[in-house]
Amino acid sequence: MPPALARLLRKADLPEPKGPRVVIVGGGWSGLSMAKYLRLQNPGFDVVLIDRQPAFLSFPLSNAWLADQVNMEFLSHSFFEAANRHGYRFVQASVLGFDRTSRKVFTDTGIIAYDYLVLAPGIEYDYSQIGIEDPVIQEQLYHRYPGGFFSSSELLTIKRKIQAFRRGTFLLTVPSGDYRCSAAPYERACVMAALFRRRGIRGKILILDMNNEITIMKDAFERAFHELYGDLIDYQPSSLLAGLDLEKRTIETEFDEFTFDDAIIYPPIRASRLLEEAGIADPHSTQKTARTDPFRYHLVDDERVYVTGDSRSQPFSKGGHTANSEAQYVAEVITAHALGREVEWRSPQTMCFSTVAIDPLRAMSHITYYRYDEATKDFAFDRIHSVEKWDVTGGQASIAWAEGMFRDMFYE
Amino acid sequence: MNRPLALALFLVVLVSPLAAQDEMTIVLHFTPDRENGRQVYDICARCHLPEAWGTEDGTYPQLAGQHRGVLLKQLLDIREGRRRSPLMRPFVQPRILGGYQNLVDVVTYIQQLPMNPAHGKGPWPAPTREYTQGQQLYQDNCAACHGSQGEGNDERRIPRLQGQHYAYMRRQAIAAKRGLRQVDPGMSAVIRRLSDEQLALALNYVSRIAVPKQDLAPSVSWRNPDFSEVKQ
Repeated sequence: MPPALARLLRKADLPEPKGPRVVIVGGGWSGLSMAKYLRLQNPGFDVVLIDRQPAFLSFPLSNAWLADQVNMEFLSHSFFEAANRHGYRFVQASVLGFDRTSRKVFTDTGIIAYDYLVLAPGIEYDYSQIGIEDPVIQEQLYHRYPGGFFSSSELLTIKRKIQAFRRGTFLLTVPSGDYRCSAAPYERACVMAALFRRRGIRGKILILDMNNEITIMKDAFERAFHELYGDLIDYQPSSLLAGLDLEKRTIETEFDEFTFDDAIIYPPIRASRLLEEAGIADPHSTQKTARTDPFRYHLVDDERVYVTGDSRSQPFSKGGHTANSEAQYVAEVITAHALGREVEWRSPQTMCFSTVAIDPLRAMSHITYYRYDEATKDFAFDRIHSVEKWDVTGGQASIAWAEGMFRDMFYE
Repeated sequence: MNRPLALALFLVVLVSPLAAQDEMTIVLHFTPDRENGRQVYDICARCHLPEAWGTEDGTYPQLAGQHRGVLLKQLLDIREGRRRSPLMRPFVQPRILGGYQNLVDVVTYIQQLPMNPAHGKGPWPAPTREYTQGQQLYQDNCAACHGSQGEGNDERRIPRLQGQHYAYMRRQAIAAKRGLRQVDPGMSAVIRRLSDEQLALALNYVSRIAVPKQDLAPSVSWRNPDFSEVKQ
């Protein structure tokens, strides 16, 4: 057997579990919160969190970082600290797949056996939904004009692009469907416009929105685009992409063609390919999500395997807060299963802050609760509280919110 | 209503992790300012919503109508880390919520808000056997401090349970029982004495005690007019 293969097929270096082992795939907002709350709910669990990244970088608040309102230290945190603080193990590895019969996870550092498996691998971009099928072109597009919602290198690239921009048209796209962090593309347009103003750049930010209108806090974002950044932001709704030429830097929509000098192209998204490769994705679902119990989160035919976070099947808004509040509940579900208890369904919440202006940071906020609608047999928005005025209180609240989340996942 | 509120600060001094905790209590008096309280509550309302009614599933408690002393104690406990709430902790720091006057004002504002006329109740209505069992358990174990009507005690900082969501009380009681939430020794002893089922029965009963009509909002569709300028 080639040594590389032998390495994959050995047991990963972990001590023998002292209790039922829960393996969590993905150290994002869902996985980190899950690991913490599983240990809190049942100290008897042996929890292993796997992520391929060496450190955590927050995407929430990254727009404030693009605008120099918070620093990189605020966004970056150590998986080791979280694991040490909450008493679980962090394994830096790539997950290659899993076998549900023998209950094993295959990683590039060896095999890890599980009693419960939580899949929180997040999203991937799906360029095929905008008609780009060729994987070579997909990769070119991804590397040249990343969307900033998948890997941390994208954020670094985007900041450099914004800093280097001198004149012309900067294109931003807003995807259709249930994409990650509804307000973020509009928020990003606002912070970029504020930065261009600060630097005296007379460029244009062209927003091509694949939706028919702004998807969240519509009136307020329209007001911000007109009143604050009317000279800088050109917002075009219903802009379904019909063609893209990377060399000429032109983009076609159904009715128009635009040229651009630089771009952030946020395509529609889908659940991580891990689900599809493991054969648990529903081929009829738009985002290739798994068939799970909508209240209990486990696969319909396997109460040992759970899917949470932005790769979940339920239609909740995707983002950090949803993942954190959901994980607190799912940790109780898994504990209840292991200890033979009952737990009532609780709605996650989606708290969303949107920076509109900087120096000082001024933000709006929006919180959504969900309920299950017996008539449609699906989840619907319940109470929504939207503060559609941008002020310093909102700006401070957005930072306090992120601090609270980091404390929760890493330090307390 | 604007009587002064005594604010007790418990300053915990930790000499070393092994040293005993020395508690120092300072009592200060403030005269509340409702209008300032409304403004301070703006940041709380972003999550707790303008009505402060909480959620039936127990994720958020009903804050409206709660005693000021109780609310204040929670704010200070969370600020100092005595009550673990990492998500809320940054919001109650002086840099966000402000100084002691602001704390007094915001709890005064919250206390006078009309309460949810349809809070979450336990599964057993009167006159089921479970209801009656819960009534007995409540009167025997809880009423001495929380009051026969679950009215609590402002001076003694004992929470009003009347009107609180059943699911919230149950989750808190179970959290306290498993050591996930610190409560005072008397409360802790009672909670440990009762089984999970007995706690559920007692809390079912208290969740079904009627809230005085004058404390309730006219209907579930009532919206806090103090926050009508923001879109809801």
